[in-house]
Formats: sequence, C-alpha cells, structure tokens
Amino acid sequence: MIEIRFHGRGGQGAVVASELLAQAAFLDGKHPQSFPFFGVERRGAPVTAFCRLDDRAVRLRTSITRPDIVVVLEPGLLRAGGVMDGLPPGGLLLVNSRDDPARLPAPPEVRRASVDATAIAVAHGLGTPMLPIVNTAVLGALAAASGAVRLDALERAIDRFVPARPAQNRAAARDGFGAVRLAPAEVAVRAPPVRAGRTLRAGLELPDGPLAVVSSATIATSAWRTMRPEIDLGRCTRCNFCWKFCPDDAIELNAEGYPVVRLEHCKGCGICAVECPPGTIAMVAEG
Amino acid sequence: MAQIVMSGNHAQSYAAMLARVQVIAAYPITPQTTIVEKLAEFVADGRLPAHYLQVESEHSALQSVVSASALGARTYTATSSQGLLLMHELLHWAAGLRVPVVMGVVNRAVAPPWSIGADYSDTIAQRDTGWIQFYAESNQEVLDTVLQCYRIAEDPAVRLPAMVTEDAFYLSHTVEPVDVPSSELVDAFLPAREARAVLVPGVPARLGSFTGPVEYVGFRHDVARAMDRVLPTLAAVEEDFARRTGRDHGGPLPTYRTEDADAVLVTMGTATTTARAVVDRLREEGHRVGLAKLRLFRPFPVEALRSLAASVDRIGVLDRSFTFGPTGAAAAEVRSALYAGSARPLVADFVAGIGGRDITPDLIARMYAVLDGPEPPDVTWMDLAAPEARADG
Ligand code: SF4
Ligand code: SF4
Repeated sequence: MIEIRFHGRGGQGAVVASELLAQAAFLDGKHPQSFPFFGVERRGAPVTAFCRLDDRAVRLRTSITRPDIVVVLEPGLLRAGGVMDGLPPGGLLLVNSRDDPARLPAPPEVRRASVDATAIAVAHGLGTPMLPIVNTAVLGALAAASGAVRLDALERAIDRFVPARPAQNRAAARDGFGAVRLAPAEVAVRAPPVRAGRTLRAGLELPDGPLAVVSSATIATSAWRTMRPEIDLGRCTRCNFCWKFCPDDAIELNAEGYPVVRLEHCKGCGICAVECPPGTIAMVAEG
Repeated sequence: MAQIVMSGNHAQSYAAMLARVQVIAAYPITPQTTIVEKLAEFVADGRLPAHYLQVESEHSALQSVVSASALGARTYTATSSQGLLLMHELLHWAAGLRVPVVMGVVNRAVAPPWSIGADYSDTIAQRDTGWIQFYAESNQEVLDTVLQCYRIAEDPAVRLPAMVTEDAFYLSHTVEPVDVPSSELVDAFLPAREARAVLVPGVPARLGSFTGPVEYVGFRHDVARAMDRVLPTLAAVEEDFARRTGRDHGGPLPTYRTEDADAVLVTMGTATTTARAVVDRLREEGHRVGLAKLRLFRPFPVEALRSLAASVDRIGVLDRSFTFGPTGAAAAEVRSALYAGSARPLVADFVAGIGGRDITPDLIARMYAVLDGPEPPDVTWMDLAAPEARADG
C-alpha cells in the first residue's frame, strides 16, 4: 500500500488532486481510498487530503500519519507546521516550487522533488494568473517522481472527471511529468520527526469550558493569504461596503471614514473587491 | 452493475435516485451538503423526476417529507449534527405517524465546542424516537442499506422511518470504489411504493390529532411491535438483496473471527474496517480475539448479542460518543441486552474517536489489551493524549 498526503489551501484543489489520483489509480486497477481533512472550512485555510492506493480493499479508515509521499501544492505551506510530520527516511517530498529540489527545506534523508506547477498552469490558462489551478500539473509530476500512477491513467481520469478544460489539464499533467526535478536523499540517519504524545488533564491544560482564552484578534489569518487587497483611495466613495462585508473584520475606517486593510488579519478572500461598488479594490498576488 | 469511485455522500444520492424517490426536502449542513447537491443535480438534469423542495430549516425539511410520505410518496432527506437536533420534534412525528421516510445522516459531533468531526452523539441522541437506525461501515454499505431501508420501512408489517448513518469525512468525503446496481435490478428489488396514502387530497382528515390515554397507549404499543418486526423483515430483505446482487452485509450484527474468541470488541461504522485488520494481526500473535459490528442500533439486536455472549468471556464496546450516563450508549445497550440472558460476560466500554479523533490500529490494539488485562475498567476514555504526529497543518 502507498500512502500519500496532500497539503494545500482551501480553494487550491488539494482535495480534488487526491480524488483525481484515486480515480486514475482505479483505472490502473488499484483499489484507492481518498479523503480530506478540513481544519476550518474557509478559502485559504490549510487543507490536508489523504490518498491510499492498494491492490485490495484498503483496511484502514484513519488519517495518514506515516506517509510514503508528501505533496505540497504551495511552497509557503512548508513554513507552516505539520507538513513533514511522519515522512520517513527515503520518503518522497514533492513541492510545487520554482526552487531546485536540493534547496527545499527538508531533512536530508528525504527524497525531494520540485516542479514549477504554477508556471505550467498559467501557461495552459488553468485558473487565473492570480490563482492558478496547479493540481493536474502536480499530479503529472507525482506520476514521474513516484510511479504511484501511470501518466496515461492520469490523462484518462482527467478526461472523465475534470469538467473544465480537460485538454489543457491533460497537457499540464504531461508537462508536469516532464518538468519534475529530483534530488536524492543525502543521508539516512535521523528518525522521522514524531511529536511526543501529550496527556491532557482536565483543569490543567483545558479551561473550565470550551473557552478560547485568547482574543480572536491574535489569530493570524494572514498566514492563509495568497492575494492582498489594494484600495485606490482616490476613487473610494467611502460607502463602507468593504468594511461591512469583510468576514474577518480586517478592514477599519480611519478618522476620515476611508477603509484601511489590517493585513495581519486579511486572509485574502477577495470579498471586499467583489463588493466594492466603484471597483476600487484590486487583488494583487503576494510576492 | 458498474463500479464507480465515489464518496459516501454520493452513495446516498445514488441510492435515493435508484430508489426513484418522488419528494426530496433538505437543508444543507456540513458534511451532508454534497448529498443534496448531487440530488439537486440529478433532479435538474432530468435523471431523477422528483420534487425538490428548498426549505428554510431542517425542521421544515423533515416536516415536508413526513407530509409527502403521508400522502403516499417515496421521500428522502439528509442532515447531520445540529440539523438533526433541530429535527428532533419531527423525528417523533415521523415514527408516530408511521410514515416510511428514509433519511441519510452524516454523523458529526455536536456543539459546543464547535466541531465537524465524526461522532455519534447526534444520532445516538435520537435512538428513542422510533426510527430504525443503521450505521454504515463503507460507501458500498451506505448505498445498499439505503435501498434495503426503503423495502423495510415501507413493508406493511413495519411502516417506520429509517436512517442510514455514515461517519463524517471517514465515509462522507472518502472516495472508494462502489458497485452501483442497474436501475432494472433496483426496480425489481424495490418496486414503486404501494400508494397506501393515509391522507388523500379532497378527503378531509386529521392525522396525529388529539387522543385519550387509551388510544395513546395503543398507538405507542403499535410502534413498539412494529419495531419488533424489523429484524425478521431485514432478514428477508437482505436475503433477496443478496440473491440479486451477490452482496450480503451480514444482518444486524455481523461478526468476524468470533468462533473461538475469548474477547470480542463491538464496533460501529468505519472503526470496524480498521479493527478487522487489528484482529488479524492479534490472531497471528496468538490472541483469541474477534469482533462484532453493530450495524443496526434500532431495533437493538438483542438475540444476536446473547448468542455471541454464550461463547465469549469478555466483550469490549467501542463508543464513538459519550452520553453522560454510567457508560456510553452502545455499552449500556449491550449490558442491558445481556443482563436478562443466560450468559453474562464482562462488558467494558471504550470511548474513542469522538469529535473526529482518529481510531488508529494502535488504539484498537490497546483496547484489546485493556480488555485482556486483570481488571478492565467500566469505562476507558482512550484518546485523551494528543496524537503522536499531526497532519492538520
Ligand atoms: S480580502 Fe478583503 S474581505 Fe477578504 S479578508 Fe482581506 S480585507 Fe477582508
Ligand atoms: S467598498 Fe470600495 S468605495 Fe466603498 S468604502 Fe470600500 S473601497 Fe471605498
């Protein structure tokens, strides 16, 4: 059995990638199982998806904590915790990144692979340049780097199950297959990182009730952001729509009544840009 | 018969379509949403000629299908967690009015604190409403059981509503291969509902109106007797289903390697799959262990449990919810079933997997170890420790 864990952000297609891999593996004669884990169901929040491929019905119905392969749809997620958890020496890390795989921040005993799936997706017009849909390019790279699925099964699955632009998605998968770069494990010395079990004792580590003892203001939803709103105040009519609609209360009004985005809370959902009547808010990609 | 890789939620939708339901009313809630989205798609593209009612709450969703069912229609709805709790009053109405509504429920934890993880608190809290309750282990079982439930619920001997539940995410959003029977096969297994309408348009009548104590007792007793007839009906329905599809889900309490077992774990839902693999591993190590799956919780399979207990020293029960009694609900029911029987093995309760915690092979192996130990406690909360490695980013 091969266990693969996908990391992405809500809206990026990690869940679809995992399901598409399952469909492709099924066409390849494997018995797949794929399911997502949602922390918070919001655009931009980290999302994990699990895919198991076996020759017979899978006999486990749990999250994947000891993956053979970790796939990361956005390099920024490598900075978030948990991505490398349980990946053993010799395991494969595949990241959507322009970087040389040898420079990916991973323990040296892990095999690393990178593919610039963003550039491939943009070249094939998948998603928008701001929010490219990278999952088919990444799956092509996964097929090449791991052999977990065959490219032609992947292409057949795309034809059957990707409703939008199947031809472009197939081309992206082929490009990903060809463009993946591999760096072998350097050493095999350290044990996989495992966090020690911790016992929760009521009253000691848990409050009396389900009470978050910190203000929501301390939660850095900005970590989810891939795009940032920029307001052209010269055309702003001070209607306050953006202030009213922002789901994270990330917009404040200054003394003159103009909106000011508090970037530490803005998660980049783009609702303000959609709601602004004169269209003075532009969503621009984060560097 | 075609194999399709689909989620547990879509297995619900496909089953409702194959059953040719006539009225659907639902209100979306995570993680149930994709069930009713898919059904809306089937209705919109003409594959399912049904009335799809958009309502403003779960209470109204159930009210709508109860009324449609009383008029003779085959109906379907689906919900989860807080939505099911909002339906509570109407759950009693459905059973008391003897309407064969079938409902999909995605088992999700109840707030507070807010959670979308798998947990049986939502449906366990409805066990006393007169509904038949099946807990599914796989997407295949979801699809097959929904079809079987229409036969059971509509059987003149039963006429009770039924719910088919599936674990949040571990089934609802898990895709895996499912055999989808042809519509010819399903039509032969499940003909159109015999339109034995209670209410007839143009004929004024009142349903469920005021009764005196004498009639009230009679109606409640009728529900109880109808519940008693579910088990024989299930046996007949499952036999017919197996003859047509080759699939048999093993009745109310399928067992695994219990023949010479000293210790048996009673599981529900998806934990069963993982537990089966653990049983094989422990057997290889020489432990005489087995498992039994509570597929049916209402009616409770009392006789099947008693015959299991006849040959077993110790029974562990995995409760994926806690109901704040002496033990969890499943363990309490198991004990109650066995107390009046001739064999009374030790029964120990294991609370695990609540709020969506993973039920891992190691966790299950530890339950067998505790069960095998010197004095298994009445109740053991298994996962108070943080997991070893977290994968939630
Ligand atoms: S993009 Fe706009 S609406 Fe969304 S969080 Fe940022 S400021 Fe608020
Ligand atoms: S919605 Fe647009 S116009 Fe209105 S206050 Fe915000 S930026 Fe200004």
